[in-house]
Amino acid sequence: MATSKKLITKQEWEKKLADVKVRKEEMNKLVMNFLVTEGYVEAAEKFRLESGTEHIDLATITDRMAVKKAVQSGNVVDAIEKVNDLNPEILDTNPQLFFHLQQQRLIELIRDGKVEEALEFAQEELAPRGEENQSFLEELERTVALLAFEDVTNCPVRDLLDISQRLKTASEVNAAILTSQSHEKDPKLPSLLKMLIWAQNQLDEKATYPRINDLSTAALEDPAV
Amino acid sequence: MSEATSRSQSPATDLIGSYFLHLWRQNSKTLGLKPEELEEEEELPTALDTVKSSGGFSFVGPDKLSVSYPNVNLHGHDVGVVQANRPAPSKRFLYYFEIRVKNAGAKGQVAIGFTTSAFTLKRQPGWEANSCGYHGDDGLLYHGHGTGEAFGPTYTTGDTVGGGINYATQEFFFTKNGVLVGSVYKDFKGSVFPTVSVHSQSEEYVSSRNIFLSLLLSLPCLLCVHATPPLLWMAVNFGKEEFVFDLEAYEAEERAKQQMKIDNISISQDASHGIVRSYLQHYGYEETLNLFDIAGQSTIPPISLVPENGSKEEDVMYALNQRNILRQLIRYGEIDDTFSKLHEWYPQIVQDDTSTVCILLHCQKFIELVRVGKLEEAILYGRNDFAKFKGRSELDDIVKDCAALLAYEQPLKSSFGYLLQESQRELVADAVNAMILSTNPNVKDATFCTHSDLERLIRQISACVLEKRSLNGDHGEAFLLSKILKSYKKV
Repeated sequence: MATSKKLITKQEWEKKLADVKVRKEEMNKLVMNFLVTEGYVEAAEKFRLESGTEHIDLATITDRMAVKKAVQSGNVVDAIEKVNDLNPEILDTNPQLFFHLQQQRLIELIRDGKVEEALEFAQEELAPRGEENQSFLEELERTVALLAFEDVTNCPVRDLLDISQRLKTASEVNAAILTSQSHEKDPKLPSLLKMLIWAQNQLDEKATYPRINDLSTAALEDPAV
Repeated sequence: MSEATSRSQSPATDLIGSYFLHLWRQNSKTLGLKPEELEEEEELPTALDTVKSSGGFSFVGPDKLSVSYPNVNLHGHDVGVVQANRPAPSKRFLYYFEIRVKNAGAKGQVAIGFTTSAFTLKRQPGWEANSCGYHGDDGLLYHGHGTGEAFGPTYTTGDTVGGGINYATQEFFFTKNGVLVGSVYKDFKGSVFPTVSVHSQSEEYVSSRNIFLSLLLSLPCLLCVHATPPLLWMAVNFGKEEFVFDLEAYEAEERAKQQMKIDNISISQDASHGIVRSYLQHYGYEETLNLFDIAGQSTIPPISLVPENGSKEEDVMYALNQRNILRQLIRYGEIDDTFSKLHEWYPQIVQDDTSTVCILLHCQKFIELVRVGKLEEAILYGRNDFAKFKGRSELDDIVKDCAALLAYEQPLKSSFGYLLQESQRELVADAVNAMILSTNPNVKDATFCTHSDLERLIRQISACVLEKRSLNGDHGEAFLLSKILKSYKKV
């Protein structure tokens, strides 16, 4: 360890921490931003009443969460309809998202054992899009491959049937809707936590000081000398 | 019970009290605390320094934004160097300025760069230690000694060249005609001055100068007072005019690079969820907490609610329902009810009527009376209750702020209007909340009562960033939560 590193004792550090100005209203906003962006509609509305923190129109969250839920539970047709009700431009201007939704629809058909319907859908709806875009075509081929295996739970493309594939598609739709509403797709709190780790790492190069190593307790550790 | 009910205030009570009084003063527009954004403001370079110049070898125009090289037949070393009137501000993300070469002369040399206050103003920026310069005649970058490194294109008459400092990466960067040329690591400490230099050593120069002179002499111009007309000259733009270089786009790009590094750090998926949850628990937002927990269980996949630290969970849930009830009472301005509930549940908190939390509640009662226009009642209440605080002269400013509400027909629009905002009720509710948390016999640390986990994390970020900056010659931005909340990352 370089000897030039400054050592800051816990006592000195606590003094510095006490000097930081933190506004309650801003913390409330941060929490509200998390509730709204992550789609906790009822909690966000209650938090407005309990803390007096304003938020964006909650109706837009409700709609967005309905779309997300539909994808998560495999009702892709329903989800597409809801997105178009919300704003038809979302899918018009986002061919990749539209393709992924259609792909998810194909996956759901295969999951349900509707082989004929799946084939028809793949040929009529998805293949023309694959011709426009090489990566779409590859994705389509990968998905159709599901039909070639009798035991899909043990095939190389089984990950497509995994719940995580639904979640991936759902979060893609969620992000697209947020973007269309000029709302950030990610809440600010996780990036703030990352910033804490980053800021501590940066300061590590110059000083030894009490760190917070466990985000869940926010406990200050004694500086390791 | 004897300890809790003793007349003298415990250190924890004092700490909680002073914490909330400090917050109050922070909210007040009249109590003289500067908003943090203003504290970060520094004076910018606005003009060239005419006092400290390389006397005779450069001539700064009357606008203090142009430089020329008036001397002829001078020795090759005689460079005209001018610094800005102030160092580049450093408590920020980046700094930038530009020059426009109006006339480089026949064999003129111009340079742009940064130098420290100790710089010898007869040497090209970059030739000396602790300086850096991008030179027009050879396009080389000089960085601490007389030998340049290959850097970018040369520049001459008609070109606009810019120099900047990126404090996040600790780099100087230069531009030509709106295009980034390159950057170089700033390997010396301390504040730097935007610096320009002019130099010419041409014989042809004399004859052209004579033509120029004769032209000028026919004009009754102010410049002529200064005997020699400018031949080799440039204009400096410290931001008064729009830059040729798109600084905003550059800054956005550089910020995105930094953000990418931060985004690449991985954290536990449920970390944010846990922090929000403990925030709701800490402040007693009980109903929000319940709905949040219900929703958390129905997400796919469900979020685990098993707390990692059982005893801590117990402490944050302490008296949750009572804290919630009191919070709601204060939020609806029901201060009398708040007092009676406190007398019933936590007599030790309200036993000493001159404790800070009682004073906060009495002030709030007064404010609520003003809010509903019961001014006479407010006056009576104030006369009766504010007198109790006489022993605590450190609270005079706060009491005065409250009393001042009476002076205005529309108190909300006065500079004391902050007292009528929701945030003031919230502050009093938070103080009562903290006091109740402090009655938990398991709690040893008073900051546990005042700070939520979220607040602790925010303080840690801010302290780290500030400490790093102070160890880094005061270079770089502070961390401001308000800025993070305003920022909107384009997708």
